[in-house]
Amino acid sequence: MPSRTLHPEIQYRTLDQQGETAQLGMWVFIATETLFFGALLFVYFLYRRAYPAAFAQAGKDAVLWCGTVNLVLLLTSSLTMVLSINAAADGRRRAIAAWLVATALLGFVFLGVKGYEYYADYADQVVPAVNFMIKAGEAPVGELFWVFYFVATGLHAVHLSIGLGLILYMLRRVRRGDLSPAYYAPLEVVGLYWGFVDTVWLFLYPAIYLVGR
Amino acid sequence: MTAAARCEPALLYVIAWLTMLLLAGISLGSAYLELGVLAPVVEFGIAASQAAILFVLFMRLKGPPSLKWLFAGSGFFWLLFLYGLSMTDYATRRGWPSPG
Amino acid sequence: MATVAADLETPSFLTSENTLSSWLLTRDHKRIALLFFASITVFFFVGGFAATLIRLHLAMPIGFLQPSIYNRMFTMHGVVMVWFFLIPSIPATLGNFLLPLMIGAHDLAFPRLNLASWYVFNLSGLVLLYALIMGGVDTGWTFYTPFSTLYSNGYVLAAAMAVFINGFSTIMTALNFVVTTHRLRAPGMTWYRLPLFVWAIYSTSIVMLLATPVLAMTVLILAVDHVLGVGLFDPGRGGDPLLYQHLFWFYSHPAVYIMILPAMGVVSELVTCYARKTVFGYTGMTLALMAIAVISFFVWGHHMFTAGISIYSAVVFSLMTFFVAVPSAIKVFNWTVTLHKGSISFDAPMIYALGFVLLFTVGGLTGLIVATLALDVHLQDTYFIIAHFHYIMVGGTVSAFFGGLHYWWPKITGRFYPEMWARFAAILTFTGFNLTFFPQFILGYLGMPRRYYAYPPEWQPWNVLSSAGASILAVAYVLPLGYLGWSLIWGRRAGPNPWHATGLEWQVSSPPPQYNFARTPTVTIGPYAYNTEDGSYTAQDGTVHA
Repeated sequence: MPSRTLHPEIQYRTLDQQGETAQLGMWVFIATETLFFGALLFVYFLYRRAYPAAFAQAGKDAVLWCGTVNLVLLLTSSLTMVLSINAAADGRRRAIAAWLVATALLGFVFLGVKGYEYYADYADQVVPAVNFMIKAGEAPVGELFWVFYFVATGLHAVHLSIGLGLILYMLRRVRRGDLSPAYYAPLEVVGLYWGFVDTVWLFLYPAIYLVGR
Repeated sequence: MTAAARCEPALLYVIAWLTMLLLAGISLGSAYLELGVLAPVVEFGIAASQAAILFVLFMRLKGPPSLKWLFAGSGFFWLLFLYGLSMTDYATRRGWPSPG
Repeated sequence: MATVAADLETPSFLTSENTLSSWLLTRDHKRIALLFFASITVFFFVGGFAATLIRLHLAMPIGFLQPSIYNRMFTMHGVVMVWFFLIPSIPATLGNFLLPLMIGAHDLAFPRLNLASWYVFNLSGLVLLYALIMGGVDTGWTFYTPFSTLYSNGYVLAAAMAVFINGFSTIMTALNFVVTTHRLRAPGMTWYRLPLFVWAIYSTSIVMLLATPVLAMTVLILAVDHVLGVGLFDPGRGGDPLLYQHLFWFYSHPAVYIMILPAMGVVSELVTCYARKTVFGYTGMTLALMAIAVISFFVWGHHMFTAGISIYSAVVFSLMTFFVAVPSAIKVFNWTVTLHKGSISFDAPMIYALGFVLLFTVGGLTGLIVATLALDVHLQDTYFIIAHFHYIMVGGTVSAFFGGLHYWWPKITGRFYPEMWARFAAILTFTGFNLTFFPQFILGYLGMPRRYYAYPPEWQPWNVLSSAGASILAVAYVLPLGYLGWSLIWGRRAGPNPWHATGLEWQVSSPPPQYNFARTPTVTIGPYAYNTEDGSYTAQDGTVHA
């Protein structure tokens, strides 16, 4: 199927200018998300500094293997995503789709592990406002760790789900032949977003899973 | 600058990926090393290094336009003001944290 | 591309397509600007309605509103005016309309994102209206914890969600403006040839992008605390209510600069044009705008001097607040020197601009007063603070908004407004404003607290003066609604450049064509190349006009 001849939008001189500008736009958005999650991490750091023992104690109940597996999954998905973009630069349409599918699969498995972990948290009775129980030797203020945990991982999961939606949308566009080596900026933009989703987990990982070791 | 010129060979990305996994392992291991107050410094420092690899290589900060660096860094830089100026209060306020 | 070139010379953006969907699904930044204008006008009158009730109530020591209703009124006034009028006012209307024109572009970088921003804004407005109709919120626009999380029985969650959604609209617009300014400037339009209005919109957008995400996280945690009863801000469970204030004001102080920076940009445009003189110290003006944007992030603690932060922190924030006043003062100085030996005409936009300079100066100087720790302990949470910020936000921003609206009205609509009515409204605004808010400085000095539904009878005369002024101000704000609307049908038609101004927006027809320029202009000269002696000028595309 021949790809359509693309024209830049009226406000752009060339497709290259349009593509680079789209990427810039996503970087600006990532900067805002940095401040969004950074503010949440500030709350975390503040309370961890105020209550170090309580946080370390509370962190022991974080399911380390889930967090670590998810870290590996996301890092791998960033690799598959960038390989998809490499394929787009060469115009290898089947490879683009294959690597995108791999990325999406890794993302779905992440959500699956996260779901299981939430179930385990519920069983451990660490869900604030639902069934939070202070265990022996724990300070009540440790609940703040768990509030942070659910807010942070919940927000991350929402962003990841949006990313999955974007990847599936990209798959449709690839199948329609919308991308070509001359212009694959939409895929690059989705790749940037996915990289940001991965970055958030890079910082959540030590915050949640390593504090209690 | 053509699109193809922006792409690195796949092997480079695989090596970078392995590096990030290695760093993750070091971070996990360091958590068991009783580093005390240094623990978060090491762990988050490693996270920052992994993020740097992700940003510069995977998210192609290296490529044009160079304006991307400004936008990418501004978020992190601006957080310093939130953290730093807030700490002028939290580091010096009597009664924080409240006992019990 | 040939078909596109032919399109570029077609009818104006107002008449090119006439269906409802051509407006509601438009990608044209000029139409989106008008859509935003409609939305914010509605909210201006909603917020104004609350203000009317407040001033009517305060004309008596114990007024006619129940205390809980009074609390909901001042909360509604603040929330609506801050997020649904002032923050979007100049950027989303004048900024949207003018930015591509001023830089020589055919549209913004992301036209569909621009339209989405309007829909998200209206969605947030609907959520807020839901909260208001269901009974309102009584926490004050600042939603301080733990009252808002633990004790308020108002619709805190809905209001917080409205603010959260509203933030997305802000970020989308700001992102568009920043990327557009960097990437879509016409050939020859270097950074230091940009009109100051563009610099103002750009610096505003930087502040929006860096501050609003923190607000988003703050209201999110507020909602979590409120709905789930967890303790991130609850002192009884190890949380710190002051943490909420730190996070809230980290956004909300820069937010007030979001409100004033675009106004400063408008004033620069008006002062140069109506004094027929290039602005004094152009580079200093651009640096001042950027300095204000940056330093505005360092001062938020001055809202918390009496809240319980440490004295060392308070000293740091007080010092930073003194610093932020310096670039603002530089701007006032430069506007004044621009006027000196200018050839000044007192058209309505200029009256608004001069009013801005005076009223903003008063507001700024009183800001220094309350930046002083020893004075703020007495003045915090009194009417002195209310007068201070209204001088800046109403005397400043609203005056500049009206000035810009009148200045660019012929460009946007192709019609003139009736000049005498406009001058009358401008003078009435200035008079009514001072009568409303100057007595409030006195009341604050005398000790009248804010957000109280009653006061001792000896303060009634000042309150009556203030309420009387408010009634004059109300007339002054409704008048433009009348004569501007009239002008749309019966106003004299305007040519491309009725004010003989130098900007690129004045080199196209009034109203502009759908895609702004038939050919992308080439810029050869900086802005404001006015010859004060004979009134001639050189437009930014290089054309010389007598």
